[in-house]
Amino acid sequence: MTRYATPKLGAYVVLTALGLLASLIFARPELALIAVPFAVLLAVGLAYARQPDVRVHVELDRERVLEDDEITLEVELDARDSVARLELLVEIPRGLELVSGRNPVALRLEVGEERVLELRFRCARWGAYRLGDVHLRARDAAGLLAWEQTLDRAETLRVYPRPEQLRELVAPRETQLFTGNRVSRQKGEGLEFADLRPFAPGDRIRRINWRASARRGDLWVNEFHAERNADVIIFLDSFADARRGGTGTLDQAIRAAASLSERYLVGKDRVGLVNFGGVLNWLRPGTELQQRYRIVEALLNTEITLSYAWKEIDVLPRGTLPAKALVLALTPLLDDRAVSALLDLRARGFDLVVIEVSPLPFAEPAPGRSGELAFRLWKLLREGRRAEYERAGAPVVEWQEGTPLTAILEGVSASRRHAHAHARA
Amino acid sequence: MLALGAGSVALLALGLAMPSPPALVGSFVGIAASWSLSAWTRGSGAPGGTILAAAGIFVAAELAYWSLEQASVPDEPELLARRAAGLALRAVGAVALVSFALAALGLNAGGGLLLEAVGAAAAVALLALVLLLARAGHETAER
Repeated sequence: MTRYATPKLGAYVVLTALGLLASLIFARPELALIAVPFAVLLAVGLAYARQPDVRVHVELDRERVLEDDEITLEVELDARDSVARLELLVEIPRGLELVSGRNPVALRLEVGEERVLELRFRCARWGAYRLGDVHLRARDAAGLLAWEQTLDRAETLRVYPRPEQLRELVAPRETQLFTGNRVSRQKGEGLEFADLRPFAPGDRIRRINWRASARRGDLWVNEFHAERNADVIIFLDSFADARRGGTGTLDQAIRAAASLSERYLVGKDRVGLVNFGGVLNWLRPGTELQQRYRIVEALLNTEITLSYAWKEIDVLPRGTLPAKALVLALTPLLDDRAVSALLDLRARGFDLVVIEVSPLPFAEPAPGRSGELAFRLWKLLREGRRAEYERAGAPVVEWQEGTPLTAILEGVSASRRHAHAHARA
Repeated sequence: MLALGAGSVALLALGLAMPSPPALVGSFVGIAASWSLSAWTRGSGAPGGTILAAAGIFVAAELAYWSLEQASVPDEPELLARRAAGLALRAVGAVALVSFALAALGLNAGGGLLLEAVGAAAAVALLALVLLLARAGHETAER
């Protein structure tokens, strides 16, 4: 612990010295009377000041929670010596809000006393936090000396984004080889009727379509669409973020990425992640619960890192973007590098859907006519970018804050169905 | 003197509002100087109200530094009550100490029989305090 003199000690020393000096200078002993209480307090206080001995243990009730959940942090204090006044401050990272409990708090501890302080927090924002750094400041009974110490008792708390309820997902155009829940265009084992064909040796009897066979005078069997899984790559553009207050486009995109990855994994699809920004991260496609945790962990560490380096899709290792994968891009369309990379992906034949996390609710035109003009030009430029994607055959949907993601996905699915029908016609 | 006293009180208010420990020191020096000037202009012998003035300045200083601590980290209710009791005890102790010092110096504070009684009580209280401190010190050494 670091010991230091409080301002009170300095002030009392000054008052005592001045009283005594004035008494001597003016030869008036009664002037020393003012200094007497201060002098006695100084003498007694300093004589009995002892360095406090307090053990601190910090415990979180859970290490993984969802956004808006509440957690309890217990701070256990064990005093080996009495402390006249112990000030305790638990450092609270941004994103967590104190719901109940006092922080900071000043208390007194007797010899051998054990106290447990409970602090309850609401996890307001997703992220990985270190919670539990404790600052202690103890004072002696007279308040003349203080001891300070910072204890690193932090535990890691992971706050996962709360997944949104998604009724419908964007169906990939192509399926992969592994078994899943998607109806493939290929024929094989499945439930969805595909076609009829003449019976061949080796066909199972239960496959025979008796009505068609009776009509045609020969044995015919039903064929079905195989049920396969698909590869879905979530492409997160983390080059830029438009923010206002406690929310921004990156928050929206990360919540969406977490929700989408969870739902696709539930449907037995393989899901991968490409975090395309100042710092490049990727996760090869995988399945099951383990992959879900991997993706969420990767999302928690996402942040905007300023970088001027030009990045292209070529920097991604092989296997990160498997052929026939559906690429779901979550981007505010603010950075040319991400815009260009997505067009590159489309040019390489990937099934691309761009969900534009709109930065408009977070942006305001600068005051004045020129500001408004610049704002309009910027919006026109964005429309131009959207048109570029449309020309390349990748639908772009604008997602404004407050609109449910499921409504956006339904819109995307409808437009893809319409485009498919149009192409067939 | 009145201006010095009023200025010091204003400085005290400012020091508490800011909050600024140096301003507090300046204000108490000013208040003490104001009282000292008053005592000096009245001639020899301790002025009336010496005990109350000395104890009052001490209690005001204690309260001021307590309020500074409260501004940064507020006390628990239990600690608050305990500290209030402690402050009352210190105020009584200051009165007793100054009375004892007055008696020891043989100064006439103009209080008559009442002040004599306070002085005697102060002497007894001081002896009790010395005994208490000696006992506490003995206990600490044993531990």
